[in-house]
Amino acid sequence: MNTLFTPALYVLQGSMLDNMKDGVAHPDLSKFLIIGALLFAVGVAGVLTRRNIIVIFMSIELILNAANLNFIAFSRYLQETGSVNAVAGQVFTVFIIVVAAAEAAIGLGLVIALYRNRETIFVDKIDLLKW
Amino acid sequence: MVLSGWESVFFWVFALAVLVAGLLTVMARNAVHSALFLISALVSVAALFVLLGAEFIAGVQILVYVGGVMVLFLFVIMLVNVGAEEREQEELFNRPRQVTAAVCFAALLVLGLFSAIRQSAGRFAPSAEEQQSTSTRAADGTRLRRAETRVSNISEDTQRVGASLYRYGALPFEIASVLLLVAIVGSVLLARTSKQELAADDVDPQVVSELSAAGELTPAEIEEAAHAHAAEV
Repeated sequence: MNTLFTPALYVLQGSMLDNMKDGVAHPDLSKFLIIGALLFAVGVAGVLTRRNIIVIFMSIELILNAANLNFIAFSRYLQETGSVNAVAGQVFTVFIIVVAAAEAAIGLGLVIALYRNRETIFVDKIDLLKW
Repeated sequence: MVLSGWESVFFWVFALAVLVAGLLTVMARNAVHSALFLISALVSVAALFVLLGAEFIAGVQILVYVGGVMVLFLFVIMLVNVGAEEREQEELFNRPRQVTAAVCFAALLVLGLFSAIRQSAGRFAPSAEEQQSTSTRAADGTRLRRAETRVSNISEDTQRVGASLYRYGALPFEIASVLLLVAIVGSVLLARTSKQELAADDVDPQVVSELSAAGELTPAEIEEAAHAHAAEV
């Protein structure tokens, strides 16, 4: 429970402004992680709120890119600590990009087949399997 | 890992660009605009990759995502002609429950990550030695040493990624190529029209009779497909 309120305590301590100035001038790993988390949240918001299935696919691409950003940031971080497996993050990212490309090809093929049969690409109209 | 000088300026510019373009991707009404904003978001992410010293991944991101996947997206958007249907979509964020869920999830995620980062602040903070180099760099002004920015060793980074891709990730690499093959065949099969389906040589005669009984195919179409098949053979 204490960890949940850590940010609030941190604000109260008053040293936040100085630390923030330093953080803005010298962004470190945590800034990349925060950007990744925000990008992920934007993608999740898109998946949950949009009706157009193509835009939902594009939001999924945003989510995957947030994961890629985290992988690359950790890879750079490990490189500077001299870790042996530092490029593993970049290799992972290559595979994520490959899987994302395959997913986009299959998903868009499905969209075309769906549009041919149902004349719609809005997910709230596609409720055949909804019980 | 601490950026400073121009690196941090670039970081904030591209980080802001990623977030703004991502938000506009989600919020744009027209799907084509969404795709264009997504392209700019992906390019900004690629710029962040360059900043992090992953030039190869940045190149792959531009070539595969922007050059391949997004062109595919744009083709499909234009094929299904969303613009004609756009008018019946009244309100964009018209489902308050889902919006609430998304906002709550985003807040939880950011809060959790923030407290996790704070908890391990000692480990993420630069070491004393690194701090010293930061201060010397600040004294240098904006001039950065080449070894620290990794500007000079582009080919070395790519070489290391390629080596570990083929040495340690050889089997996943092959599996990925099979996955891509399956995706190609699958999307070709999925996007076939019923006419092309009939022209294929593995079509079941019963399916043909069912389709024509359901009135989905005229006898002329079946005849034409049979001719196309004969011509192909």
